[in-house]
Amino acid sequence: MTTRGIDYANLSLKDALDLAVLIEEEAQERYEDFAAQMEQHRTPEAATFFRLMAQNEAKHGEELATRRSTLFGAEPKAVTREMIYDIEAPDFDAARAFMSPRQAMKAALASEVKAHAFFVAALPALKDAGVKALFEELRDEEVHHTNLVTAELAKLPPDSGLSDEDFVDEPAAQ
Amino acid sequence: MSATCEYQAKDYKSDLKPIWCPGCGDFSVVQGIYRALAAIGRPPHEIAFVSGIGCSSRIPGYTTAYGFNSVHGRSLPIAQGIKLANPDLLVLAAGGDGDGFSIGGGHIAHLIRRNMDITYIVMDNQIYGLTKGQLSPTSQKGRTTCTSRYGSLEEPVNPLLYVLAYGAGFVAQASPTDLAGMAATIEEAIRYPGFAFVNIQSPCVTYGEEAQQIKGLKAISENLTALGHNPADRLAAMDLAQHYGEKLHLGVFYRNPEPAPTYDGLVRERQALLSKDAPPAENILDLFIKK
Repeated sequence: MTTRGIDYANLSLKDALDLAVLIEEEAQERYEDFAAQMEQHRTPEAATFFRLMAQNEAKHGEELATRRSTLFGAEPKAVTREMIYDIEAPDFDAARAFMSPRQAMKAALASEVKAHAFFVAALPALKDAGVKALFEELRDEEVHHTNLVTAELAKLPPDSGLSDEDFVDEPAAQ
Repeated sequence: MSATCEYQAKDYKSDLKPIWCPGCGDFSVVQGIYRALAAIGRPPHEIAFVSGIGCSSRIPGYTTAYGFNSVHGRSLPIAQGIKLANPDLLVLAAGGDGDGFSIGGGHIAHLIRRNMDITYIVMDNQIYGLTKGQLSPTSQKGRTTCTSRYGSLEEPVNPLLYVLAYGAGFVAQASPTDLAGMAATIEEAIRYPGFAFVNIQSPCVTYGEEAQQIKGLKAISENLTALGHNPADRLAAMDLAQHYGEKLHLGVFYRNPEPAPTYDGLVRERQALLSKDAPPAENILDLFIKK
């Protein structure tokens, strides 16, 4: 998780909403990439879970984008994708061949925890009351998501205990 | 250069789905390249991306640039040919440590001495991953693999020192441990007017050792800017480069403050000079006809 050039003290509500949309977009793309990787490596259960996460991120992103356009219309963006790196998106190395649904959910859980940490860390630097309220809302949403994933994890049967070494990754034609 | 509209990272992403192992460091490298290219803003059709053979050499296919997944170790001669044929193209070359420093090791020196305006990105994972885990030129001494059951007896190639010694004008190192830094480093390399080399420590999740995974790399990472390194100081760069394998220095090791003329630029100059006295193209055959 890295950020670059975000001036938290002078962040406007418009910028904060744009930033939140970008964070959701990045996470959506990463989950889609992970789902594609799982499909490529014949791991349909994990792929299905990652697709679901991508849909969730897309839904959150759309909600935030709607709020942004209601409040600020087509005013140009002042923040870019280059300012955020892996805020809510799972880390690239969180994916593994033949992930079990439990491993996939753990990767998502780690991402929600990471996003929560981002909003918590940013809060003290914020000056604008509206931005502060938005970040608090987003922080609380991450707690909610973390609880949801934790609850889903508890429903899963334990993993088989087999390791990656027990599987052979067959070459895939392209 | 015809770019007037703004490009985004996704504009450089092709529809081809990478078949790298999930978790492979190369996934982050391709993202770093997308972001660097978006920052540069050249349209995809003005970019030529050449690679050799290996896992990482699949990378041109995952971009919307013109790509050539060529012959093992031969990305650099092909990239030079492309640059000479059409100097207006932004030319990138990429490959693994085996492709660049073993099979194609002889080509780097000549590209450096010619100083062609090409950016060469090496995804260094210290192993031949595509062929299932044999020693590569950058594998550490003592490394146990399927071809070194009792541990490697060879010293590894030091890619940073190698290119610095031959006089490369731009030498940097990046890693997926800092994606923002990686994208910025690649961008800086592309913007450098001459040969630029970026060594990216890109972990192999399948055959790489634990210490070479992201967590291990983070533990030995040091940012060159934070260390106060002056990238104009070539000797200091060489000194730092000697720690390759022990520490992971991230950022620009060396950037020639006075970039030398590029070969492609000199060729253009010579063409312009010679063309002054050259016969018109429609009379070119007259040179071969005795009158």
